[in-house]
Amino acid sequence: MEDAVTRLRNAVMNYEMETIADLAKQSLKEGVDPLVAIEKGLAEGIKTVGEKFGRGEIYLPELVMGAEAMKAALAVLEPAVPKGKHRSSAGKVIIGTVQDDIHEIGKNLVATMLSSNGFEVVDLGVNVQAADFLKKSDEVKPHMVAMSALMTTTMPRMAEVITPLKKKNKAVKVLVGGAPVTDTYAKEIGADGYSGDASGAVDVAKKLVR
Amino acid sequence: MNAMSFGIKRGVRFNILSDSDLERIHWGTLHVLEKVGVQVDSPSCRKLLKDNGCEVDEKTRIAKIPSHLVEEALVKKKKTITLAGRNAKYDAKLDLNHSYMTANGNGAVTVDFESGKRRPSMKKDVANSSRIIDSLQNVHIHWPMVSSTDQHPSVVHLHDFDASLNNTEKHVMYETGVTLSDAKTLTEMGYAAAGGEKEYRRRPLSSCLQCTYAPLQHDAGVMDASLYFADAGVPLVFFGMPQPGATGPATLVGSLVVGNAEVLSALTMTQLHAPGSAVIYGMGNAPLDMRTTIRAGGSPEHAISSAIATELAHYYGMPSCVGVSATAKEPGDQAVMEYYTGCVGPLLAGADLMCGVGLLEDSSCLFYEQIVIDDEIVGAIARLIRGQWADDETMALDVIEKVGPGKNFLAQKHTLNNMRTEFFMPNLVDRRSFDAWSQAGSKSMRDRAREKVKDILANYKVPPLEKDVQKKVDAIIEKAKKPMWGGESKTH
Repeated sequence: MEDAVTRLRNAVMNYEMETIADLAKQSLKEGVDPLVAIEKGLAEGIKTVGEKFGRGEIYLPELVMGAEAMKAALAVLEPAVPKGKHRSSAGKVIIGTVQDDIHEIGKNLVATMLSSNGFEVVDLGVNVQAADFLKKSDEVKPHMVAMSALMTTTMPRMAEVITPLKKKNKAVKVLVGGAPVTDTYAKEIGADGYSGDASGAVDVAKKLVR
Repeated sequence: MNAMSFGIKRGVRFNILSDSDLERIHWGTLHVLEKVGVQVDSPSCRKLLKDNGCEVDEKTRIAKIPSHLVEEALVKKKKTITLAGRNAKYDAKLDLNHSYMTANGNGAVTVDFESGKRRPSMKKDVANSSRIIDSLQNVHIHWPMVSSTDQHPSVVHLHDFDASLNNTEKHVMYETGVTLSDAKTLTEMGYAAAGGEKEYRRRPLSSCLQCTYAPLQHDAGVMDASLYFADAGVPLVFFGMPQPGATGPATLVGSLVVGNAEVLSALTMTQLHAPGSAVIYGMGNAPLDMRTTIRAGGSPEHAISSAIATELAHYYGMPSCVGVSATAKEPGDQAVMEYYTGCVGPLLAGADLMCGVGLLEDSSCLFYEQIVIDDEIVGAIARLIRGQWADDETMALDVIEKVGPGKNFLAQKHTLNNMRTEFFMPNLVDRRSFDAWSQAGSKSMRDRAREKVKDILANYKVPPLEKDVQKKVDAIIEKAKKPMWGGESKTH
């Protein structure tokens, strides 16, 4: 019989979205340290899934389901982590699609790819007002804020966040993306990084957050 | 047959879905609209639906639409739509017997024709590509191909429209009327260019393509703008863009049901608000590539989805507007394969509007060369779908008898009479011998496309708008300018 941590790792690798929460509860009952369960179980599992996706061995829905499984187990394990202790992560990221833009999927992919690469991701959803990006970043103190815009008409909304954000917190990095966004445009509005696709976003994020 | 008529006359039609398939899709869609509903973000559209008997939840913004409203909208919509050109010889009659190719639209990047460098697109790119489109025989409807990102951010799309109107006499379809104020200004510009509202309503020289948001959502700005356009006599395309496996079910037909529910609910809202307004059925059901997360615009699945969407549109008595694009990063082999695959499927199934030529990286990057290569692809497909028939002229029994065994048909009057219409004469495809080709510099198709573009840009002229019309257009753009972040007039 495998130990609880291995079972959790395998459950992420086998995309067991429906049953993984029970496994997580079981591990807590068995007295497993929730931080170990997250770091050695879930995080290791999603890392393997992410690597397989990167090599083209598995497809996007498998990656998304792996991330969903991880999320379901985290919902059980995270509240059990003793106060004052934090799981180690590659960095904390706030992500959202800007105001007046309700395109979701590209932003979701980046969020999924980031979490499968060890980032802790707070997803604000779509049609996010500049004020909400700012409020949440005060609260969460992220290493990076990531924004998506899919229309030429909503692109300028990203600048609306960057200027006041950088004024408050010079250290926070900003990553932008979305079909009409270009490298040049990203620089022009003061973003630190740009990527044309979800995999590229991870590479840029890793460079920006060390 | 009149070979000089505008558009591609169709004589061939593939059948993919049976009548019972189409009925199942229709009834399935009505079921979705009644039971699942659509999310309507515009308060005024929700009120419109509620006043007409829909079940509307103000909290979730979901409206459930009874079937009879959809069926009534299908009866009320405008029956025959003509997309007029600034020059009447370019009027595109959507009679369900002709296909029209459009330019692709609203990329944000251009590969500079002189330097070969990738850079943000500029107004001069909109102007140049409009002129190229005007010159091409196989592209019938224009779209502003890229955005004028060198202009003030609040009026980029107005400059796109201005540069298009001045550099082609063909009909201009834009996709940037995404808020009520955009709709008002774009309409005002259209009226000015047509010589007044009355003339515009008679011959609308512009139209607006509106994207619905998959799955099953309607953006507030887009729908408020759409109702305005419907009132103002601006023809609309409602374009569903579910991505099978991502924002629609993985099966193409299931994803079509999602897109169909979006298009039919948008149609219903416009017909409740402005009965008899012109609506074209649009669908871009292209899957997300499951390895790269890029939309597979030039895939066989997109082509066949566009073909079956066309069959569904015709089942509703509506002209279809379906898409093609390429994920290729440069003109050449891959772009040709993707554009050919993407165009031939829908055109064989009778697509009325096929959008569009000339952009790569899934409709985001403009290469001037690709525009003329795609024109050639459409030319070949136009020949493929023209149809064949047997009558006295095509049978040519008298000529066969006259020539007899062992001779040839080169010097026959029948040959002379038919050769210019019977054979597609390529422009960029090189059919010469190896020796002739290598002596002329061993040029690739891309080299030849480049030469053609150079020639068009140097020599092809389009009459601009008249001076007093231009003055009005300029004034409308100036008035629409407003302070905006990321532009020259930052307020903080």
